This record gives sequence, structure tokens and C-alpha cells, in this order.
Amino acid sequence: MAETMVRMGELAASAVAGDVLVSLGLGSCIGLALVDRRLGVAGLAHVVLPDSGGNAEPGTFKFADHAVPELIDRVVAAGARRPDLDAVLVGGASMFTVSSASLEVGQRNEAAVRDELEAARIRVIASETGGTRGRTIRVHVATRRITVREAGGVEHDLVPAMPAEAAA
Amino acid sequence: MTRYSDLQLDALRELANVGSGTASTALSGMLGRSVDISVPSVNVLPMADAVGAIGDAEAEATGVVLGVVGDMSASVLLLFTPSDAAAMCGFLGVEAGTEIGDSALMEIGNIMGASYLNALGQMTGMALEPTPPASATDMLGAIVQTVLAERAGAGDIALLLDSDLVVEGSDASVSFLLVPDQGGVEQLLARLGL
Repeated sequence: MAETMVRMGELAASAVAGDVLVSLGLGSCIGLALVDRRLGVAGLAHVVLPDSGGNAEPGTFKFADHAVPELIDRVVAAGARRPDLDAVLVGGASMFTVSSASLEVGQRNEAAVRDELEAARIRVIASETGGTRGRTIRVHVATRRITVREAGGVEHDLVPAMPAEAAA
Repeated sequence: MTRYSDLQLDALRELANVGSGTASTALSGMLGRSVDISVPSVNVLPMADAVGAIGDAEAEATGVVLGVVGDMSASVLLLFTPSDAAAMCGFLGVEAGTEIGDSALMEIGNIMGASYLNALGQMTGMALEPTPPASATDMLGAIVQTVLAERAGAGDIALLLDSDLVVEGSDASVSFLLVPDQGGVEQLLARLGL
């Protein structure tokens, strides 16, 4: 089993059965997983900020408006079928309780990712967002099982394992 | 990727050195104990690498964050391991993990942040003010990423001025980080004529 770390502003897609895509300690960032309903293909993006405002350097995916379309392209390139994609969101916490408005980036991240998904007509099948705790997400590619662990908590299933059909 | 010259990095390290020296004196006065400082490190690295450079993303930590306003935008972040938080609170006669323990750590952040920024302001001629502190006890990665996200802007490079302060005769230490945004770094260097 190989764990691929998806760090701040990174994204990854895989159709390799043993792969697990991981983002450790998501705070205000969003871990966006895209999974194929039928095939063993999945992707994960670690979204840092909601909107590039057109100022992002090329090849960087920390903004929701760049990360979401790029992740869709990557999972489709890895063999997923575009109409069969579902989304799962984890993160977007408000880490600091006595906080300036500018730190409420978690909520803005979630809203931006949801807007991008809606524009792409991809439904969100599960989410664990908001609150004040950091979270780790693991996406098991073969089964599309998705687990979440909150700070100080135990890992639990957010999306249970799904059987994979043979690729057409 | 934005590059800084060795001369610029040396100058930033020297600023961090004087800043953390002043902050250690303030911490020492608050705790009534001597405080040693490490030679600060200046890390310029891709944002994706920044958390790993600081520590284990899933390790528990207490972070105290202060905003910096005025002539430069930045964040000050103090990081305590659970045992450091317990020891620091112990020196101040309060219990870690309680509301009063959190407020003691925030007060440490306040005092150290204000003195660090004061020293930085005097060296550079900048007006710098800390905003009130906030704290969180959580996964290290979640704390650091949230601070970096706020300072990231359009850039993909994180610049971290990192100093460790150790209370003499104990294992208690605190990691003190100044995280300027990209414009903030250029401001600092411009004031130094670099």
C-alpha cells in the first residue's frame, strides 16, 4: 500500500489499486476528493484559498478556481468517467477561536469549492467541514473508501468501501 | 520561484536574531528564569514543503498566532508541544489545557510578539503593531497551514524566520516564527537597502 501525500496546493489522481491519497492536518484548507461511482479511480486536491482573482502563477493549484477543474481533468485522464464523478469535502475549519475575519478562510474555501463543483455538475455525496478541529483525510483508490481523523480523535469512515466494476 | 540572495537571507537572519533576543529577554522577565535562544533559521521554501520543515503534521501542538499590522503584513506564530505548554503554564502557576492556561500562553505570545516586533521596527524604521492573540491546540499541520494560507496571497513561496527559545535548566522551549507575506519580505529588505 503506497500513501501519496497531497500537500498544500497539490493534487493527485490515481487508478492504482493499492494507492491511498492523503492530506495530513487540514485546517482551513479543504481536502477535495473526487471518486468514480463505478471504477477504482480517485483524486484528491488540497485547496488552500478560495479565489485566485486571476493572479495565480501558472501550474499552481492552491486556489479553488484552479484546483477543481484541474482535479476533474486529472481523474478523467486517470480513467474515471466524467458523468460518474462524485465529490467528498473535508476541512475548512476555523482554527483560531478569537479570530479576525480574514482567518475565516475555511468557510470561504468550502463555499468556493462547492460553487466550482456545482458549475461542473458534480454532486457532493459526503462532507465533514467547518468546526474548529484539524482533520486528516485518506482516500483509498481501489475501493473509494474515505476516512477522516480529527485532531485528538480516531480514524473513521466518511464514505464506506464501494465495489469496483471492471473497467470497460 | 522567488529567490533571495545570500546577503538578503543573512540580513533577514540577523533581524530574526535581534528580534528573538529581545523576545527572549521579555520571556525571561515574565517567567523569572533565564532563556536561551538558538541561532534563527531562515527558510525560503515552496509552500507545500513548509509544514514538513516545521514538524510532523499530525503531532499535537498548541499554536498562538498574532497578526502584524502597520508597514508590513505578517503573522507571528508560537508553537508549543504538549510538554512545552505544560511546562510554560507550570512556570506561571496555571494548568495547561484550561482556559486560564490558554490565556497564559496567549500572554506569552503577546509579550514575545510585541518585543520582537518592537526590535524589528527599531532596526528597520517600520511601524509594526501586533493584533490580539488567538490560540488553538490541534494538529501541527492544521495550525501551520491555516497561518500560511492567510499569508500566501498569490505567491507559492513561504518565508519562515524560525527561532527556538529554551528555558534554562528545563526542557521547556517555544518555537517562534515570523511569517511575512511576500510584500512584507520585500518591505523588510527595502528598508535595509537590499
